[in-house]
Amino acid sequence: MMRRGIWALALASSIGGTLWAQSDTSSSAEDDFSQYDNLGFVDAGAKRFCSPKIEGLSPAKLISLGYDYQGAYNLSAGTLFNASGAELAAAEEARVNATQGLRVGFNIPVISKTNLVWQMGANYWNTQYQYATLPTAASNPLHQTLSEHGMRTTGINTTVFKPLDRKNFLLFQGSADLSGTYGIEFMPAQYLRYSAALIYGRRPTEKKQWGLGLARTYRVGEINYIPVVLYNSTDALNKWGAEVLFPARAHVRRTINPRNMIFAGYELEGQSYRLWRDPASGVDLRNEDLEIRRGEARFRMVYEFSLKDFIWLSVQAGYRFQYRFDVDRLVDGVEIYRAFGLLRDDAYAQTNGLGNPLYFNVSLNLVSP
Amino acid sequence: MLRKLSLWAASALIAFTSLHFELQESPGDQLIGVWEPSNGRSRIKIDKIGAKYYGRVVWLIEPNDPETNLPKTDKNNPNAALKNVPLKGYRMLKDFVYQTDGTWSEGTIYDPLNGSTYNCIIKMKDKNTLDIRGYIGVQALGRTDVWKRLATAPAKK
Repeated sequence: MMRRGIWALALASSIGGTLWAQSDTSSSAEDDFSQYDNLGFVDAGAKRFCSPKIEGLSPAKLISLGYDYQGAYNLSAGTLFNASGAELAAAEEARVNATQGLRVGFNIPVISKTNLVWQMGANYWNTQYQYATLPTAASNPLHQTLSEHGMRTTGINTTVFKPLDRKNFLLFQGSADLSGTYGIEFMPAQYLRYSAALIYGRRPTEKKQWGLGLARTYRVGEINYIPVVLYNSTDALNKWGAEVLFPARAHVRRTINPRNMIFAGYELEGQSYRLWRDPASGVDLRNEDLEIRRGEARFRMVYEFSLKDFIWLSVQAGYRFQYRFDVDRLVDGVEIYRAFGLLRDDAYAQTNGLGNPLYFNVSLNLVSP
Repeated sequence: MLRKLSLWAASALIAFTSLHFELQESPGDQLIGVWEPSNGRSRIKIDKIGAKYYGRVVWLIEPNDPETNLPKTDKNNPNAALKNVPLKGYRMLKDFVYQTDGTWSEGTIYDPLNGSTYNCIIKMKDKNTLDIRGYIGVQALGRTDVWKRLATAPAKK
């Protein structure tokens, strides 16, 4: 009888073991992968949509902590005029030994679905000007305010990718920035500056996408409405590619491997900065309603690589070419829209010239899956 | 005699309990099947092994490496020893456990395009749609892809 009990226990264990093995739903018969060639969706209404990325594209940055440094150059501040054309401050050239600061950015996916991708981000840039000789109360106010306060930009941005089908998509990018020669505590919301771009695009293959659209931008130094061209591609061997959002930026990409990439190209940077100066230390600019229209091109080489897993280092070096750093006056609180001189040709309150130094930028990034 | 009967009864109970639990389908088993990620470039078959769920690549739109014209391998894997492992059959979803809140978590997803492995949580939007969220440390730092269930019988053309 005891033997029968042991048999029963053995049988029970055996049944349990067999059933346990059967809970492995994979099987070696599935190595015939041809059975998966012609499958359709169970849900007949399901549609396929194109994704926002193409194969081989550099990874998107979720968090970026960077430092930007420009070498020495001469800053020639022009004569500053008031609204009636009278001289407020005389022209003056000064030497800037370095321009440097912190650049921080965040980008978090909010909605990430097959038929809609929505991302929100924020950024903070601080740019400090180190003069060879410290400006005084008698200096041109541009020099003094840059020396004392530097320039800051704080903003939020959003990107919406809406695929229409497997080949076509819409892309919207928008941002709102507060920029000025002083801290965010002095920046009322009325000085928010908005940029936006809407692009219609196609993604003919997994390794190519292009698009055409229209942008409202400050990248060319002042408010403008310009056409934009999107073009991203990767060659068949995943060695070379292009990442272009013209005219904002264009780069050729050389992929050493998916964790090591080199880029050559340029990026346009631009913003409109509220100009302010402490009235106790010189000319009072509070009622002048002035903004610096900064527009510059950065011709550069960039090396991006994975330090460890999702933490990437980006190192870039190049030449900063300033094409506008002029001070403009708002008319009744409204920006002048010149349309490259086609609509209006108002004189700037102050026309300035900057030398063009070498620069470098290094950033630590957490990249997106 | 009573002791022998007790042993027999206990054995039978173990056998019955095992049979009962194994034949009763776990709600987590809804995950089992063949799925297609949103880019349509691969198909993943999810199986249950033990109490965990795993997914492996069973189809690639581009099965051969354009550089070598040989079947694709996991050449972007940072582990040199794994670079020659064929991608077809590669287990890219690992160790998912069904939770009482209706999600599958504690697993990882591997991206062969860059050789990175991410934390991952799977939610079933409906019986034929999965939200697969790969993330880094916290779910906010991630990206969700939508996978659709494929019929295991050949589709009509």
